[in-house]
Amino acid sequence: MTTFIVRRLLQLPIVLLAISLLIFGMMQFLSPEQRAATYAKTEQQAKNLDLIIRQYNLDKGFVVQYTTWLKAVLRGDLGYSKQSHEPVLDTIRKKLPVSAELALYMFFPTLLFGVWMGTMAAIHRDRFVDQAVRVFAIVGWSLPTFVLAIWMLAVFYGYLKLFGIGRADDSIMVEFAKGTLKAYTGMITIDGILNGRWDVTYSALKRLVMPVATYTIVASAQIMRVLRSSMLDVLNSDYVRTARAKGLPERAVNLKHARRNAIIPVVTIAGLMFAFMLEGVFFIEIIFNIPGLGQWAVPAAIQLDFPAVIGIALLTGLVVSVANLAVDILYGIIDPRISFQ
Amino acid sequence: MSSPDRDAPGRERWYESKRFRRFRRNPLAWAGVVILLFFAGLAVLAPALTADRLPRGCLRDLGLVRSEARTALRTPANPAFWRATFAPPASCYKIPRVSYSPVPKPPRAKYPLGIASGGYDIYYGIVWGARTSFYIGVLVVGIVLVIATVVGGLAGLFGGWLDNLLMRLVDVVYSIPGLVLAMVFASIFGRGLIKTMIAIALVAWPIYARMLRGNILQVKAQDYISAAHAVGAGHLRLFFKHILPNAIGPMIILASLDIGAIVITASTLAFLGLGADVGYADWGQMISFARSWISNPGGEPLKYWFVWFWPSMAIALFVLGWNLLGDAVRDALDPRSR
Repeated sequence: MTTFIVRRLLQLPIVLLAISLLIFGMMQFLSPEQRAATYAKTEQQAKNLDLIIRQYNLDKGFVVQYTTWLKAVLRGDLGYSKQSHEPVLDTIRKKLPVSAELALYMFFPTLLFGVWMGTMAAIHRDRFVDQAVRVFAIVGWSLPTFVLAIWMLAVFYGYLKLFGIGRADDSIMVEFAKGTLKAYTGMITIDGILNGRWDVTYSALKRLVMPVATYTIVASAQIMRVLRSSMLDVLNSDYVRTARAKGLPERAVNLKHARRNAIIPVVTIAGLMFAFMLEGVFFIEIIFNIPGLGQWAVPAAIQLDFPAVIGIALLTGLVVSVANLAVDILYGIIDPRISFQ
Repeated sequence: MSSPDRDAPGRERWYESKRFRRFRRNPLAWAGVVILLFFAGLAVLAPALTADRLPRGCLRDLGLVRSEARTALRTPANPAFWRATFAPPASCYKIPRVSYSPVPKPPRAKYPLGIASGGYDIYYGIVWGARTSFYIGVLVVGIVLVIATVVGGLAGLFGGWLDNLLMRLVDVVYSIPGLVLAMVFASIFGRGLIKTMIAIALVAWPIYARMLRGNILQVKAQDYISAAHAVGAGHLRLFFKHILPNAIGPMIILASLDIGAIVITASTLAFLGLGADVGYADWGQMISFARSWISNPGGEPLKYWFVWFWPSMAIALFVLGWNLLGDAVRDALDPRSR
């Protein structure tokens, strides 16, 4: 198993290299001036694009340009983001905890809700519960994240005034800015506890309700669908019939015998969901005004803030690859029949 | 020569097949069909439905004056009816502006769905937006199918290092979240509906290329291919006559059913400002212009609900229609999922 993990880890840099090549290649559709503008750090530099073109070899061939860029990256210099007015790596370091916190709170409710719905649907196959769950799932799946987020915003924030937007109450954000509250992890719900201030955690959790609910409704459908169909397969198998025949209670058969084996495909989907979740996080951050990676990456991509775009692409590529690796390792733990080759 | 199919006993027609019966008995499938027919109706009849409010440029390009437009566009005997329905000039996709007021106006007799900020007639945008959505969906699927057929076909046909290389390319494109990548492509290409569609297609093809490659490998292993090879069929003939036609079916069906997902991507891009030109009848763009009227405009929440409600409802229903249909077809094709 160790060799398997090591080999997969060795593949990682190759994937990242390929991602950077892909984005870099697409950037060649722009003129040298356009590309140079994306490197400019100040007003002054933006006027002297020739200098930048020469500095980054932007008028040379693709290979020269790419190696120039790659050398800088290997030195740990991902470039300067015009969008955030600071080096890309600094921005990522600052904003990653915000998005990671959001993603973690989104991931588990979605997974659990999906698994619960899938189980219910499979057990009550073709009856009312099954139909209701399937309709709910397909409606949720059909809503673009930003559309549901807007509906939530209009009803729960605008009309009912139940939940706020942003990360926490303004007074709390001011305390973080002043330093009376220390940002140990950058994740407010955890920092609140570390500072011994439950009101901070509560305020942050309350503001997570709308984003998490939005995402759960949109994304749990996939989990539900996969679990339902794999559970139906398992429920038809011989050993489930045997378990029933020897008089086990229905609940034990469903949850212990059937679901435990049906959950394996869900692990795959959960890994894929992790990748899909990044874009969910991005758009949810934009609409609910949460200053995470999305609020930086989306405008950056639109403005062609080239260093930021490659930085984001590499980061997401890394997250997706690691998620896939985690899925493969989890397989072995959940299902001992799978061996690592 | 009489068709052997017709005489063969027990040969079932497609509408008698088990698959179709399973599809027909699924109420969700019918719900999907009804929703899509509604939008198809809006799309096809768009000129007739909006005959009394077409923008000036559109009327001019159609060679009509406003007073006669209404009757002309609702009379199938008139050539203008056919021209407007099947080949409307691009100017007809521009939402006419009632005024230039930045404040939306609630629904009233002539503007049943209200007027958006900037004086845009929401009813017009919804009706012609249905056309835009079908257009986006069909064209993107078309481009995706071409790319996927070329890549998947080459990989499946030649195998070896080319297969390896192409499949790694698939992995790479697949490992970046699609919307983010589409956003980058769309901003590189610049504003415009066609450019956005190419950007979406460039992100959506990998899964279908992989599917086609898998199917090709499966078909290649069948006995009748060896048989055809043994009778002396050349490589190209084998591929185009025997392998591809037998491998391409599932990919075409599944890709077409993906129109819902494609419309989600397109509307998200449009919402971010990466899409058709400003003022084009496009649901995503209509929501993006409604943005400042959503949460609590002027202390009166939900006062301007119509600005974001109709376009977001249109997107949600349109996608729902495709997903209901797609789910039903998948269920029918794959008996295990029932």
